[in-house]
Amino acid sequence: MHIDQEKCIGCGICVSYCPANAITVENRKARIDAGKCLECGTCGRTRVVRCPRGAITEEETVYQRPRSIRKYFSDPMAYHVETKVPGRGTEEVKTNDVTGRVRRGQVGIAIEMGRPVLGASFVDIEKVTMALAREGITTFERDNPLTHLMADPARGIFTEEAKQCRVVSAIIEFTIPVEMLERTVATLKEVAKEIDTVFSLDLICRLDENGSIPVMAQLESLGIKPRLNAKINLGLGKPLKEV
Amino acid sequence: MTHSLHRTGTPESLREDYVVLVTPAVGINNQGSQDKLREILDFIFDLGPTNIGSYETGTIFSGATIEEIKAKLSETPRVRVCFSSKEKVKHLIQFIKERDYGLSVTVSGLIDEVQGMARELGIKPHSVNLSLGVHGKVEDLPSPEVLEFITMCGHGMISASLVKKLIEGVKEGRYTPEKAAEEMARPCVCGIFNTERAAKLLAKYVQK
Ligand code: SF4
Ligand code: SF4
Repeated sequence: MHIDQEKCIGCGICVSYCPANAITVENRKARIDAGKCLECGTCGRTRVVRCPRGAITEEETVYQRPRSIRKYFSDPMAYHVETKVPGRGTEEVKTNDVTGRVRRGQVGIAIEMGRPVLGASFVDIEKVTMALAREGITTFERDNPLTHLMADPARGIFTEEAKQCRVVSAIIEFTIPVEMLERTVATLKEVAKEIDTVFSLDLICRLDENGSIPVMAQLESLGIKPRLNAKINLGLGKPLKEV
Repeated sequence: MTHSLHRTGTPESLREDYVVLVTPAVGINNQGSQDKLREILDFIFDLGPTNIGSYETGTIFSGATIEEIKAKLSETPRVRVCFSSKEKVKHLIQFIKERDYGLSVTVSGLIDEVQGMARELGIKPHSVNLSLGVHGKVEDLPSPEVLEFITMCGHGMISASLVKKLIEGVKEGRYTPEKAAEEMARPCVCGIFNTERAAKLLAKYVQK
């Protein structure tokens, strides 16, 4: 994102909207620090930030690699070129009743790197994928744009180009047999100590016939108490996949 | 993509906060789903959502209209809507169930409340996405008070400095809680930021 120095009057309206603290005003001109800017697009949306001079514009280079990586992982309004899916990840639980992506006896794990608020670099994201790969988790969700940036999925390694980038968030997604849950959670707790950001952790599973959540006891024994709010797929999709 | 999952706050406050997503599965039942979604959107508008928007248009708080949201539905159309009332969510689910659209529906909210609602409607939920919390450098996160607002936009578009500035604005009497909540809602493009919940949370900052 770019601020036209001729047009800007230094009113400072745009500054507080930037989730990456990339905008500063000095000598009555606002500037964007390109290293900090994650290309989320917020400051350039005229319906959000009412810049009185229309001084904030998107540069064309934002759609060219490597800058485009920031754009596609940070701006929810930009469609991923690789997957044609808007947003950062996949349909995960949202269509599980139709896709059968996560079946009985399995759990889907999503690691939302950089969420909430802090953002993440691919160097940190790679620390997590490498730790998972060492545990034998090398099949990452095919439809997730992050998987397309891997140079060596067997070792959880990203391309050099990706590793130069910071993004608002990127989601590591995979499915494992429920028996692997304990080891995977232990791995994630360990690698969490090594990263310079946060991740929000998600677990997707089928519900039992009576509506109860099958992994609750297992999670309790791992010392994890899920939040009281969750996202529930009501099973209204068709054709319904009862797998 | 799990942007409605990690909303933080007390159970009392989350009891009045629901996000409904209607999502056709890409490559399976997205063909011809746009008209179904337009019918659903009409019903939602009659019902009166707290917030609604789309990746294509932004939200009602940034100036999008129902006509615009309907007209700009993409090839993989989705409905994202936020309610503060369980009764409204129930009406919407009942409508979608009766019409038998065959599109996937997820509701984010307190597990007991959503499951109770499904039972009342004779629906057997299929799967769940649980939040196992935030890990890593949690000491770098803003305060829990600020996070309650920020996590209502799961995409991370609402900055901590905007939230702090608006809280200050309410304290100083420059904004009403409602006005500050609407201002906070604008960067969230898909419309799941709950302005009514935010206004209630902001009300505690009004100087007596
Ligand atoms: S595009 Fe986003 S991250 Fe970059 S300066 Fe604008 S608001 Fe900040
Ligand atoms: S809102 Fe526009 S005019 Fe004001 S400081 Fe930002 S770029 Fe400059």
